[in-house]
Amino acid sequence: MTFTQLAFYFFATVLIFAAAMVVSIRNPVKAALFLVLAFFSAACVWITLEAEFLAIVLVLVYVGAVMVLFLFVVMMLDINLARMREGFGEYLPIGGLIAVLMVLEIAIVLTSGGFGEEQFPRPEGHPAGFSDTKELGRLIYTAYVYPFELAAVILLVAIVAAIALTLRKRPDTKYLDPARQVTVKKADRLRVVKMPAEKRADRTTEGEA
Amino acid sequence: METIYLLTPLACLVGAIVAGLFGKRIGRTGAHRVTISGVAIAFLLSVIVFVDVMNGNLFNGPVYTWAVSEGTVYQIGFLIDELTAVMMVVVTFVSFMVHIYTIGYMEEDPGYQRFFSYIALFTFSMLMLVMSNNFLQLFFGWEAVGLVSYLLIGFWFKKDTAIAANLKAFLVNRVGDLGFLLGIGGVLYLFGTLDYADVFAAAPDFAGETMPGTETLWMTLICLLLFVGAMGKSAQVPLHVWLPDSMEGPTPISALIHAATMVTAGIFMVARMSPLFELSDTALNFVLVIGAITAFFMALVGLVQNDIKRVIAYSTLSQLGYMTVALGASAYAAGIFHLGTHAFFKALLFLAAGSVIIALHHEQDMRHMGGLRRVMPITWITMIIGTLALIGTPGFSGFFSKDAIIEAVHYSQQPAAKFAHIALTAGTFVTAFYSWRLIFLTFHGEPRDREKFDHAKESPWVVTLPLILLAIPSVIVGWIFVEPMLFGDFFGSSIVVRPEHDTLARLAEHNDPGHGAAWQMVAHGILALPVLLTALGTVLAWIMYIVRPDLPGKLAGRFSAIYKILLNKYGIDEFNEFFFARGGRNIGNFFWRIGDVKLIDGIMVNGTARVVGWVSSVVRHIQTGYVYHYAFAMIIGLFVLMTWFLSS
Amino acid sequence: MELNIQPILPEIFICAMACVILVLDLYLKPERRTIAYVLTVMTLLVAAGLYWQDFATGSAVYLNGMFIKDRFSDVVKIAICLLSLLVFVYSREYIKARDLFLSEYFVLGLFAVLGMMVMVSAGHFLALYLGLELLSLSLYAMVAFQRDSSVATEAAMKYFVLGALGSAMLLYGMSIIYGLTGSLDISVVRGIVAAQAAPDNVILVLGLVFILVSLAFKIGAVPFHMWVPDVYHGAPTSSTLFVSTAPKLAGFAIIIRLLVGGLEDLHFMWRDMLIVLAVLSMLLGNLIAIAQTNLKRMLAYSAISHMGFMLLGILAGTPNGYSAGLFYGLVYTFMGLGGFGIVVLLSRAGYEADELDDLRGLNQSHPWYAFLILIFMFSMAGVPPTLGFFAKLSVIQAVIDVELTWLAVIAVLFTVIGAFYYLRVIKLVYFDPPAVAAREISATADLRVLLSANAVALVLLLPMVGPIQEMCTQAIASVVGAF
Repeated sequence: MTFTQLAFYFFATVLIFAAAMVVSIRNPVKAALFLVLAFFSAACVWITLEAEFLAIVLVLVYVGAVMVLFLFVVMMLDINLARMREGFGEYLPIGGLIAVLMVLEIAIVLTSGGFGEEQFPRPEGHPAGFSDTKELGRLIYTAYVYPFELAAVILLVAIVAAIALTLRKRPDTKYLDPARQVTVKKADRLRVVKMPAEKRADRTTEGEA
Repeated sequence: METIYLLTPLACLVGAIVAGLFGKRIGRTGAHRVTISGVAIAFLLSVIVFVDVMNGNLFNGPVYTWAVSEGTVYQIGFLIDELTAVMMVVVTFVSFMVHIYTIGYMEEDPGYQRFFSYIALFTFSMLMLVMSNNFLQLFFGWEAVGLVSYLLIGFWFKKDTAIAANLKAFLVNRVGDLGFLLGIGGVLYLFGTLDYADVFAAAPDFAGETMPGTETLWMTLICLLLFVGAMGKSAQVPLHVWLPDSMEGPTPISALIHAATMVTAGIFMVARMSPLFELSDTALNFVLVIGAITAFFMALVGLVQNDIKRVIAYSTLSQLGYMTVALGASAYAAGIFHLGTHAFFKALLFLAAGSVIIALHHEQDMRHMGGLRRVMPITWITMIIGTLALIGTPGFSGFFSKDAIIEAVHYSQQPAAKFAHIALTAGTFVTAFYSWRLIFLTFHGEPRDREKFDHAKESPWVVTLPLILLAIPSVIVGWIFVEPMLFGDFFGSSIVVRPEHDTLARLAEHNDPGHGAAWQMVAHGILALPVLLTALGTVLAWIMYIVRPDLPGKLAGRFSAIYKILLNKYGIDEFNEFFFARGGRNIGNFFWRIGDVKLIDGIMVNGTARVVGWVSSVVRHIQTGYVYHYAFAMIIGLFVLMTWFLSS
Repeated sequence: MELNIQPILPEIFICAMACVILVLDLYLKPERRTIAYVLTVMTLLVAAGLYWQDFATGSAVYLNGMFIKDRFSDVVKIAICLLSLLVFVYSREYIKARDLFLSEYFVLGLFAVLGMMVMVSAGHFLALYLGLELLSLSLYAMVAFQRDSSVATEAAMKYFVLGALGSAMLLYGMSIIYGLTGSLDISVVRGIVAAQAAPDNVILVLGLVFILVSLAFKIGAVPFHMWVPDVYHGAPTSSTLFVSTAPKLAGFAIIIRLLVGGLEDLHFMWRDMLIVLAVLSMLLGNLIAIAQTNLKRMLAYSAISHMGFMLLGILAGTPNGYSAGLFYGLVYTFMGLGGFGIVVLLSRAGYEADELDDLRGLNQSHPWYAFLILIFMFSMAGVPPTLGFFAKLSVIQAVIDVELTWLAVIAVLFTVIGAFYYLRVIKLVYFDPPAVAAREISATADLRVLLSANAVALVLLLPMVGPIQEMCTQAIASVVGAF
């Protein structure tokens, strides 16, 4: 077993463990942290496949940005843990059984010999100084420009959808509009009323005023 | 010529549609003008076609292909030959006469336009029937005339008896039509085509074909089934019960549909199918027996009827029996000949009876008539002419055709021919008796109902003109056509007779060559048994209704059993009522309660519906609304599919 | 490397117009938002015109095999354009009355159309998946568009979660196929699969099952249909209109692209799987529809059963079968459009008209609309002389041609069961006493006219059945003949 293989199996094990913990652990914050671990392990596996750029991007984008946001949300929301777990035990036996059986079936199928190095010879290792970033970039802007652009449109749709669904003016919130605040003039707020001087009024009228 | 063929029925159809749909707008005069001109055109065209056919121009071809299914072609087409031409002329002429007559007869009826629409429609249907060149169109015409007949019997639809009568006609004809349809189905099955020419051409090849597993010939089965249809339409025993009741309809209808044309459709059809019937002796014997029974026993019933129209109706039944016997004896030409002469004189008799009925303000009971010859001379004379023709007075048209039939049966070698011969010969006596009874009771003696008699007067010209016009052929057609139709080659290839069946040829052998056949028949017939019996019947009627009017009552008392049987028409109606109607209702009730309500509705229809509904209400609970249930269902579906296909 | 963008010009046009409308909206006052609507409709019309004008004669592949342009794609794309156009016209008043008349709605719709176009033309797993995601994402948002409606939000949530699951399965199946063949290009995959197709190739079976399940999910075939009733019911009817029509055709298209274009040599495998799905769909769809009291839900189950019928055509595995399936899909989408169109027509602000009881006695107040319902229901039930009958007929013929007579018998049987609930609607409309005393229908003229045309076309196009079927045959021939 070479070092690469060892690294692969190690990170793969960690990845599966972390993924399992994500769905089974009770505390959502911990689950999110396990997700971070899963992403990280996946990034490591990718590195063993010489996909350094993708690995870095995975860590940067998912761990650095998405998961942080996610943690924010989890912490801000008041999630009722007990209710979330309701029925979990009830479905666990049958669900677990099917999950195990499926994993078994998939394992049997995938180890049946259709995959592996005898089917597809191991690709040549890249020489030192090979930039997979550059190579990716070249492919994305040539052969794969169509899916790349599509992906961009999907992101645009996601943005539009997110904004359309969440951006709203709530009539019941009291928020400040600085622009209007700044432009306010004295005349808008104050009305100077000229009145003739009066004598001291009675107590009763003062009380009414 | 094709245009003329097409135009003939369509002229009537146009009249019917215009009078039927726009009757209100065009008014009464408009309605009868348009239909009468339609029928007049049809009559003229028919004459042209007839002349053309006489010159040897036959036609057989499709006009329109309706559908093609699995190689079988369903067409509208015309077969124009001698048989068709005769029928066309007879149908359109009688129809034309009846149309004119109707103007007078229906004058005061609120359903005037409707009536004209119906009879024009009838003429169209009848023409389609006789002009058809295939079984499908034949069936169309068959059903269409049946429909119009149904509508017209119940024309006075507010009269309970009329409604009962048209229902009866409808039901009885259904029985016949079922047989007819099965017969057509048999033809289609056996020959794979519905075209006359193809079927007739192939018929000899299938002559010996038996039904699988039996000794019965296919041809016998088909002919018997087709004949069941003819029995229904041409009112042969035991499917005759509807015809007397159909007299509930207006009299022009009785003349047109229930005497002259529609009821002869069965006769026409069998004659048309002669290439098939010739191949089955069994069927021919059956036809003989049925015809003979009808001819004699229905005539007997006519003896005791008091309703003037019913007497003529039973006479019609009896005469149809004669025609049927002619068919059974393979004397198709004689049958058709009798059909033609009968159409004229029977229409005449009905219309004359109608004339009497109008004069007496819709009184139909002969016991209230008498002495009318003084006030209705034209009606009287024309009716006498009709009667003379009917009973077969030598020289009148009926004589030639009827005598030919009796003689033909005499020469027939079919086992049943002997019986038929006796029945027909005896029938002439009965015919003469009831016919004269009718005349004597109606026109002679003293008026039995003074009040009605005093109001009676001769009918207007629209009524008497058709009588006169019909009286002419009643006298002369026999002289003109007896030679070519019976002994000549008038019908050419339209009627096929096997040599060993050819009774008319044998009849012809007995005629001396050189002299006119008509003269010979008259000379020969005067001393023959049928004419003697006729004379006897006439004399007897004269004695009983003129000389000794008290005799009939005494006789009825003496032979009360027979009298009752005849009065009850052999109890066939009662039997039908008891056995078929009530039995049918009971069986129907049984199947309705047990079969339909419980089994089909209860278990099969509602049961399945209930089960489906129940399953539905149960299964809908799969849709719980929980997203993890949905996801789980998906996973299970995936798992099952995966496991199934991986393991197989 | 040269990039030929000529064939994808209509797609670029749609995308560009969506962006234009998005930007334009910034400068539009709310009361002038009709401009966005008009632009959307015009865009779809022009796009349909572009496809029509550049109608493919054969089959050609562009953009490194990712984009296929053939008769099939053009036929389906034109249909999608027209369907979407009608959807927007039908739902204009509806969304106006519910404050959903926002430019974003149209932009999302246009992007969904773009996604469908990409799917229809997909010659590559990647393009296919991205198109599908583009469509799905837009649809999720459209379903959730009525933010203040909890049912709509719930429906969108379910749709999203289950859709993600479906997409995951599709990706997994594709990755297995990729692992076996080493290519994402469908035509390359086809070649390799053809060489390896054997009943004992379990890896192919596994990949196929995953792909098939996700496809079944997208068109809503049992047992992957669970989202359909909830989403159709919960979504605002305008979105239901959209979800239930054009995407079905796109789903049909990717089934053709994947199963026929890529994995046709595995027909012996996916035939049996599709039989299971089709029978279950027809069974459950028709059965459960009977128990529904909500019109939208009933139509949702009806849609499930119709998808089962459409699968029948595909599983026959013959060009005839595929074209029968395409014909069925085309006819169904226009029937479904009409069915939900009726709900839109009858509803007004604050009133949804989606309960079956709301239809009671409609004939007495609005005989013409009652008649339209009659046509739609007859057509869905497959009563001649409607197009629905011919669609069913051609599918059943295709099934009988491959000697699956028992399947045809089952299909007919379920049609009979299905007729029950369609006819019940007619009974409600025609024979029951009116539910509401005076019902006002505030539909605009364009909706009335187009919906009427939609219904009447289902009958009047009868003489055109031959040419339409011929068009379907040629479209399929361009897919099958490309190999």
